[in-house]
Amino acid sequence: METQAKPVEIRDLEMVFNTSRGEQVRALQPVSLEIAPGEFVALVGPSGCGKSTLLNILAGFLTPTGGCALAGGEPITRPDIDHGMVFQDYALFPWLSVIDNVAFGLERKGIAKADRLKQAQNYLELVGLGEFAQKRPSELSGGMKQRVALARVFATDPSIIFMDEPFGALDALTRRFLQHQLLEIWQRHKKTIVFVTHSVQEAIYLANRIVVMTARPGRIKIDQEIELSYPRVYTEAKFRNYEKLIYDQLDEELAKTFDFESKGVVRD
Amino acid sequence: MTGSAARTLPYIYAFMGIVLAWQMVVVFSGAHVAILPPPLLAAKSFVELIASGELFKHIGTSLGRVLAAWTIAAVIAVPLGLMMGRSSRFERIADPVIELFRPISPLAWIPLAILWFGIGESGKIFIIFVATFFPIVLNTVAGVKGVDPVLIRAGQVLGCDDGATLFRKVILPAAMPNIVVGFRISFGTGWAAIIAAELVAAQSGLGYLIADGMEILRSDLVLVGMVVIGILGVLIDTVFRIILRAFSWT
Ligand SMILES: Nc1ncnc2c1ncn2[C@@H]1O[C@H](COP(=O)(O)OP(=O)(O)OP(=O)(O)O)[C@@H](O)[C@H]1O
Ligand SMILES: [Mg+2]
Repeated sequence: METQAKPVEIRDLEMVFNTSRGEQVRALQPVSLEIAPGEFVALVGPSGCGKSTLLNILAGFLTPTGGCALAGGEPITRPDIDHGMVFQDYALFPWLSVIDNVAFGLERKGIAKADRLKQAQNYLELVGLGEFAQKRPSELSGGMKQRVALARVFATDPSIIFMDEPFGALDALTRRFLQHQLLEIWQRHKKTIVFVTHSVQEAIYLANRIVVMTARPGRIKIDQEIELSYPRVYTEAKFRNYEKLIYDQLDEELAKTFDFESKGVVRD
Repeated sequence: MTGSAARTLPYIYAFMGIVLAWQMVVVFSGAHVAILPPPLLAAKSFVELIASGELFKHIGTSLGRVLAAWTIAAVIAVPLGLMMGRSSRFERIADPVIELFRPISPLAWIPLAILWFGIGESGKIFIIFVATFFPIVLNTVAGVKGVDPVLIRAGQVLGCDDGATLFRKVILPAAMPNIVVGFRISFGTGWAAIIAAELVAAQSGLGYLIADGMEILRSDLVLVGMVVIGILGVLIDTVFRIILRAFSWT
């Protein structure tokens, strides 16, 4: 039943977009990164540096213009139900009830109806939404929608989960609750997680490794292990030190971004 | 209950207002009864037509024609619209053809309809078909193209591996509200086209009632036909709006 966590390898990955106006936008410089099975990697970097682009390549939605990405040793060429994705804007199917949303991937996996409804209900309870099974997504708040999206991806039990600012739009309390839930799933089920966030604090709280990207076109600036035991405490001195370290790196990049922008160099 | 009363009341007021204005025009213009009969006379003819069962025959014939044409249109237009929405290459070919035919009124098709289909049922259905076809195609295309790309990605990453599954589980349900809007608009345009269709040697139908009333100088019959078309149009649209509500998620 339990899926084995997979490693993710990124080799000289490059991405250049051709815009509709015929311009070329370089979103990623050659990026290389090795993620061991079961690692929780947080990706931080200035806005527009290519974090979503990188994640979308890893999830199989985009084909890179150079280099390659592998999951479990296999090249990533298309989306895969074993590589789950949590989107910033929830991406729930509005025509399905909450429980049918959660059961969607289970149906694709060929699980019988009674079984998949039972499993979906369990995952809904895990995110505290057991009573909302029959509601439509439009009847839920933003935080509740993201909880359904989490239940939906947990339910398919993928060995890798990609998350693009999943908690970015949530209030502080819901965010905290879901961070706990995510850590628990990660620790209990040994999944590989790549998590994009704007919050340095969130990155340090969750990840065992933080990758800071440079301003666009993104490449890896630093790759920092976070050697703190879970559960982590924001107010601890070691936590604060990591925070300072990451912020210093980001500030350098921010300075560059603003410098570029004021000189108009960013548009290439 | 109060909700539906609140929704029907404006229609009743509008109806009363129209009848009042009509009566005033009759009184102040002194128009001859063959040109503009008073509402009461039209009402009398209306009751007579109901009592004799003739009105229901006309309504049944017209509804049957619209239903047939609309069904044929849906069967052709939905798949066509789905293909156009999914394949931009196919859309580039099909769209100009559709845009060229779309401005041509169903009335303009009457001569060809007679030449091609004769004066039987099929010619009439063809004319209504022309009126019902385009709203369904255009709304279906808009529905498919308007599917949020992130839902397509979500579908893919949740195991819709092939195009057919993705289509069935994500694209079609996501486009459904638009398609149903197309059905609704198209039934309306089809219903409005029965006059054009029944100008062609019809023996019954609301369009026939109007055309025949004009020929035998019975403008009361013309008015009854018009009023019935209006009222039934509103009723049918109401039915569609109820269906539509089942498809709206917000
Ligand atoms: N489809 C596309 N066509 C053209 N340019 C694109 C496309 N997608 C992304 N880009 C560009 O690539 C760069 C990186 O975008 P990306 O969305 O990956 O940034 P990000 O790091 O996720 O930013 P944010 O933190 O604001 O979400 C941006 O400059 C963006 O304008
Ligand atoms: Mg992004």
